[in-house]
Amino acid sequence: MYEIANIGVFLCRCGNQIDPHIDLKTLEQTIAGSDHVGHCEILSYPCLQPGVDHITQQIIRKKLNRIIVAGCEGRLMNKKFEKAFADLELHKGQIDMVNLRGHVAAVSDQTAVEKANKSAKLVNAAIAEMTAMRPTQQTMAKIDGPVMVVGDGIASYTAAQSLAQKGIDYFLAVSATDPEAVVRHLHCSYPGERPHYDRIKKIVSDAVTSTHATVIPPGKLTGLSGVTGDYTLRFELDGEESPIKYKSGAIIACLDAQMAAPGPEFGYDGNTVMTQPEMEELMWENGAPKGSILFWVNDDETGQSDFAQLSAITAWHMARHIRECSTHTQTMILYHQDMEIPLSASERVVNRKLGILWIPYDKAIQPTVQDSVVTFCSLTDHVEHELNWDYLVLSPIRLLGKETAATAEILGLVHKEERFLTGHHAKVRPEMVGREETYMAGSARYPCDLQESLNQGRRAGTKTAEMVKNASEGRLRVPRVVCVVDPDLCIGCGQCQELCDCGGIGIVDGTRGGLPRVVDPMVCTGGGTCAAACPYHALTLQNNSNDQREARVASLAGQLAQDEVMAIGCVWGGLPAADNAGKKGLKYDPRVHILGVPCVGQIDPCIMARALMEGAPGVILVGCLPEECHHSYGVDHAWSRVNVIKKLLTLAGFNRQRIALAHADLNKPEEFILTVESFARTIALMGPIPRSADNVEKLESIYDLIRNNTRVRHLLSAGLRRPWEKDYRGDQRHALEYDRDFSAVLEEEYLGQRLVRILADQRQALRLADLAAVLKEDEAHVADCLWGLVTDGAITLSHENREAFYSFMN
Amino acid sequence: MIDFTINNQKVSAQPGWTVLETARYYGIDIPTLCYHESVKPSGACRLCMVELKEGDWSKLVASCIYPVQEGIDVHTETERVNNVRRWIFEMLLATCPASEEIREMAARYGVVSTQMPVHDPDQNCMVCGLCARVCEEVVGLSAIAVMDRGVHKKIGSPFLRPTDVCVACGCCVSVCPTGAMQSIFDTVRGKPAMEMTQLAV
Repeated sequence: MYEIANIGVFLCRCGNQIDPHIDLKTLEQTIAGSDHVGHCEILSYPCLQPGVDHITQQIIRKKLNRIIVAGCEGRLMNKKFEKAFADLELHKGQIDMVNLRGHVAAVSDQTAVEKANKSAKLVNAAIAEMTAMRPTQQTMAKIDGPVMVVGDGIASYTAAQSLAQKGIDYFLAVSATDPEAVVRHLHCSYPGERPHYDRIKKIVSDAVTSTHATVIPPGKLTGLSGVTGDYTLRFELDGEESPIKYKSGAIIACLDAQMAAPGPEFGYDGNTVMTQPEMEELMWENGAPKGSILFWVNDDETGQSDFAQLSAITAWHMARHIRECSTHTQTMILYHQDMEIPLSASERVVNRKLGILWIPYDKAIQPTVQDSVVTFCSLTDHVEHELNWDYLVLSPIRLLGKETAATAEILGLVHKEERFLTGHHAKVRPEMVGREETYMAGSARYPCDLQESLNQGRRAGTKTAEMVKNASEGRLRVPRVVCVVDPDLCIGCGQCQELCDCGGIGIVDGTRGGLPRVVDPMVCTGGGTCAAACPYHALTLQNNSNDQREARVASLAGQLAQDEVMAIGCVWGGLPAADNAGKKGLKYDPRVHILGVPCVGQIDPCIMARALMEGAPGVILVGCLPEECHHSYGVDHAWSRVNVIKKLLTLAGFNRQRIALAHADLNKPEEFILTVESFARTIALMGPIPRSADNVEKLESIYDLIRNNTRVRHLLSAGLRRPWEKDYRGDQRHALEYDRDFSAVLEEEYLGQRLVRILADQRQALRLADLAAVLKEDEAHVADCLWGLVTDGAITLSHENREAFYSFMN
Repeated sequence: MIDFTINNQKVSAQPGWTVLETARYYGIDIPTLCYHESVKPSGACRLCMVELKEGDWSKLVASCIYPVQEGIDVHTETERVNNVRRWIFEMLLATCPASEEIREMAARYGVVSTQMPVHDPDQNCMVCGLCARVCEEVVGLSAIAVMDRGVHKKIGSPFLRPTDVCVACGCCVSVCPTGAMQSIFDTVRGKPAMEMTQLAV
């Protein structure tokens, strides 16, 4: 029923903002005749309740299964339409909008008919996309099996406690189940938290003794497979040969950061100069120490100034405990002048009562550790003062431990550019991700105190419980725009997994390599750079597929006049910049036609080639600002793809400036206009590509090459990189070598592609000289390439009268 | 079907429509500022005021939130309505004198100056809260909200600091009727990691 599109097109008058500017009657007549358009109508305000009611009637009467509203910004209005038409089996992806108001009506001084003409091109392109669309059924996520609380962090217990309270079964992978034992070792990760020990004991016993709990030995996590709702985790235990497998529906990762000793410049020896956790250990063993104890909050000196406050409050709690135990001990806290003392009003009262000294030092001179003395420069008089100590307590260095990092890697929590596990990079709307967040808690996420860790655990537990409840009641929606893998096409090269920024792509079973990948629809953000990178087109963004975008781009490119250009803007950068330009009534070159895509990283290079092949004189991609891509690397990947098309254009003898990548800030529409106008001028100077048979053949070869040649596509996706990446893989040792090698491969493959095309078209055997003449290429060069094709089995070689003939045998 | 009149023109509406929606459906213009089709109306700016006549007696209502009723007699261009509009524009000119959009719109309704005291000549936000409603209803987040009360009311992220909650989609900028969000937006989403050189516009 959904396969064949029956599209309803509704043109909006938008009060007087579209109607007098665009001749809607002409537009309506043009559109109504298009294929697959079941209904076309002009409405006053399709977005208001009367309009929505009217469209609803038309959908029912004419059995429309796709809707295009040509009016204003889809970013704003789509949700309202999706909500209104959800009961009519019209969902996200089946409702599209074309911004006539912002991209056509307000932005130029063309006549109403000219604007109608431009609008028709944009609407027709949208119709082409809708026709190519294959909507999927809305599915609900299922969660089978208990929740796995993994990682052995202190937050495990609060997460488990919350799950128990909500009646959810869980596995608790922790090393200690005895509350006393937990408290005994807590200071290794969270020093200075004595006041909370009683509470912790209660939480631990609740979590462990609950009827919903299954406590398992923590072991070492060695593997994770499956998707949200159906995970398999493998643990390796000491002394066990084969790993133990657990089936689980959801995972909560509770990981704590490690605390290491600072370097030798602080005189660290572990006996008298020690870190905060070591001081705690000393206090456990020998009780509160006597003498003079100096806490130096040296985070600024160790390059961790972000955690200075955390270390300071820890130092204060420890100093307070020591003073309360023995009034003869003197405690001092030496701190960097830029740090604010992190004490509340009531804590300051306690501080005064206990006489704990806070001593700031001038940041210009680093304090020096000497035997029994620390010298520092005072803020009040610039004199070098000395502080005596019997024990010097330093801030620990906070880092991800090796084991924690390994576990996090397996759980897909590691992001290359962060020191800690701060979570998702993608900055997208909540409805675009099925699982609201990564359920992760503890100081490995970002260094924090015990209270914060426990809260994070509680939150992760509550949220997971909510998710499991929703799933069991059939209310947990799977987002509609997510990647799916065709297992028949996937060869398991794993490039998508390397590129994926959301961690949604996994392997089917535990071992690596050679196995088809699978996408976790609850994690995928629909960025789609993975789909554009797949050498075999095995990945598809459902409801927003490559075919759809290609159809749209091809349709618009085919309609463009000789001096008109196509600007493809991403929905976070270029498109809203264009919308805002329209809203502000800024005028720009009417030859610029704007299309929107969710991310420029989704644009497969074959789409760029298709646009040029269909007759667009120029294509510009307008993405986010650098480092601001909402799908992390989409815009960087688009750069590489544009670059490969540029190389191919040069090979074919066209001007490589016909395709370009630009960056736009949605808040600076004036700059966006400069960008697109500059491009339009460049193209106007160049003129269109003459549509001679020769040129068309070349453009078609480029398209075929970049779409179907797996060698080129492999090389391209393996080379996708971010501008600051330093290492080049394989034999290419630096940027130039990589570029030259890539160009050489392109040249070889491009010539091969053209040869195969000519032989396939001619349907007869040809001689080397004939082929070289047709291609206008050097004979020796063509001979090399032909030999390569023959050995690859792409073409066949036969001899007649001692002359070699080449033919294409399919 | 609910039948009533707007400016003596007979109109019919479905239950659940508002007076404003019905008027627009019939092509009758009512000016609005804080109204946007993508979110629920809030009736904050009061610019969409219309007069409801019942015999000798009449009342002014905000048409964007007034549900249609059988037999009501709505007028959009009476002396009373125009008077209210003028006052609203004067107040807006005093609240957000720096807003180009407001000045233009007021001038279209014949208001070019204000009798009210201007406290902040650089202010361009009218604090209608449309941005906050769009953030919540359309985007599904609450990166910005209306803070404080009364004359101290303002728009921004919590503690007026850049927030991670904001996904920088720019929906708030696109709906802002006064153009104030353009500058507020940068304080909500934070500075870009790599700032590009400003182009000479």
